[in-house]
Amino acid sequence: MKFNMLLKKLMNKGDSKDIAKKRLKFALLTDKLEIRTDTMGNLQKDLVEVISRYFEIDKESIKIDIQRSEESSALIFNTPIIAAHRQRGIPAA
Amino acid sequence: MDGKVIVVTSGKGGVGKTTISASLGAALAMQGKRVAVVDMDIGLRNLDVVMGLENRIVFNIVDIIKGRCKIKQAAIKDRRIDNLFLIPASQSDDKNAIKPENMIWLTNRLRKEFDVTLLDCPAGIEQGFKNSIAAADEAVVVCTPEVSAVRDADRIIGLLYAQSITPKLIVNRIVPKMVENGDMLSHEDVVEVLSIDLIGLIEMDDRVVVSTNTGTPLVLQEESKAGMALQRIALRLDGHPDLPIENPMIQKSFWKKLGSKLGRKN
Repeated sequence: MKFNMLLKKLMNKGDSKDIAKKRLKFALLTDKLEIRTDTMGNLQKDLVEVISRYFEIDKESIKIDIQRSEESSALIFNTPIIAAHRQRGIPAA
Repeated sequence: MDGKVIVVTSGKGGVGKTTISASLGAALAMQGKRVAVVDMDIGLRNLDVVMGLENRIVFNIVDIIKGRCKIKQAAIKDRRIDNLFLIPASQSDDKNAIKPENMIWLTNRLRKEFDVTLLDCPAGIEQGFKNSIAAADEAVVVCTPEVSAVRDADRIIGLLYAQSITPKLIVNRIVPKMVENGDMLSHEDVVEVLSIDLIGLIEMDDRVVVSTNTGTPLVLQEESKAGMALQRIALRLDGHPDLPIENPMIQKSFWKKLGSKLGRKN
């Protein structure tokens, strides 16, 4: 064993490459979760379109959000329903 | 049969794309293939100096696309290595001078003339990158064992998959001593993070600077470890995919080698 490795062991210092790997994995994870600026707007538009086939909703009070925690990310979508369309799948208007 | 088009790309700049493109081109030509190496970095050309052909440029890739010359007029023949040609980039045009459809047109013609066309992709993910990958059948992603280079490689790999290209990885500038000391990501670490197949490992090699200084192909330098690794990568790219990948190791002294043979850890 080389002297500097022995010294590192004695001082209980971890390998810097392990830090690099950990940082890298975290960076790649957060990179993948990053969302383009127009994505949320487009998603909201599409969701409103789909839900409107089944429910009458207040398009203005829709809330769409991404909640991130250490382990996971979740898409939170919240909309008040005004009424259900009687004939499923067929838009009222 | 039509030749194939391989893009050499990385995302991050300065990881060795141009040196690798030039060397792979030279190695493939020495193996008997007819090779064109194309500088895709419009406005910031460098492949010409790395290949030592900068004095012989008359026409460039933009001239071909704009119909100002024929492919044969722009392709510079290397006089040291048979069957090796360079198509230089334009230094004065803007990178938007070429569009992906132009590259598809050009490479379809190059396929008829050359067994292998290597595209030396510029850094970044803008126009030059888009032009390069639009025309490619295969891709080689270059990265160094650094956080920044690996992260950019990951992004590039994702963009290549989106184009239905499954890239292969070269880990460049490995310093075996630092890897052994735990101060550099090993190629296993890099492969684990990126989860793609390796096509070669290249050790940090001072000869690369010397080769670039003089514009001499690295693969012509016998004592260059990087040059040897690149020759093996060229074989893997063309017909010998199962050639074993050599892991750069610390050159051990005779007594240490003997020690490890006898089972003693050093």
